[in-house]
Amino acid sequence: MTVPARFRLVALLAIAAVVTGCATGPKFSETSASMPAVKAGDGRIFFYRSNSMLGAAIQPDVRLNGEVVGPSKPGGYFYVDRPAGAYSAATSTETEKTVSFRLDAGENKYIKMTPGFGVVVGRMVLSVEPAQTAQTELATMSYVGMAKK
Amino acid sequence: MRRGLALLLLLGLAACAQMVTTEPARLEPVGATEAPTVITVRDKVDILLDTRFSRTLLAGTRWRKVGRLAQGDVFRPVDGVFSIEGRQVHEAYLVISGASLRGFYLPGEANYSPLVPPLTLNLGDPR
Repeated sequence: MTVPARFRLVALLAIAAVVTGCATGPKFSETSASMPAVKAGDGRIFFYRSNSMLGAAIQPDVRLNGEVVGPSKPGGYFYVDRPAGAYSAATSTETEKTVSFRLDAGENKYIKMTPGFGVVVGRMVLSVEPAQTAQTELATMSYVGMAKK
Repeated sequence: MRRGLALLLLLGLAACAQMVTTEPARLEPVGATEAPTVITVRDKVDILLDTRFSRTLLAGTRWRKVGRLAQGDVFRPVDGVFSIEGRQVHEAYLVISGASLRGFYLPGEANYSPLVPPLTLNLGDPR
């Protein structure tokens, strides 16, 4: 195999690895109207991750108050409904970057995950985003979770 | 070799962000009979946290009083969300005494984080 051919093969494999790791479910814009209503006393927490190639291979679990609630995939989103209260979210890559927030009854909270790199391992930086910003970013994202409690 | 070591050191420092300083706080919520109070930040304010992270309060942002602490009245954003950052990210409400931003109430953990030194805000008349 010549060097250019080898390079092409490696490039194709790399692209395939990234593409297969990206979210492929229904888009937020297609499903948001049919989402179930939040029950009284609960709020809804959306988790989403930008569709960046950076760190695409890093796909940790997302934890909410220590419980795994879904995956972190490039271009993916999911949501969970929880009672009003205090919450802390993190990913399983490392414990350093968590986000703490308060969820009110009937409120939507939006947690964005952005890939970053620690000294030893890749990690997700979590941030709490304004609804308007989040809904714009969510529009093209694909569902990767289960809406269950 | 030297450049590699310098890069590693830089990465190490970046990874060791300071924790946000906190102390337990007990929020006394606004009473049901109390008239709602909304303030407006008239001028943009840049806040440098002791963790070296920074935040900006944009001119025109509105904040609703939700309670009080010993350090001052507590305001949450009317539209949007505000957070402070150190090793962790914390949703935060402003703690204001007079026109002085004294610190932040962290509703996700019921803690208070002081701002040192406090900042003077240009606030609209409460309504």
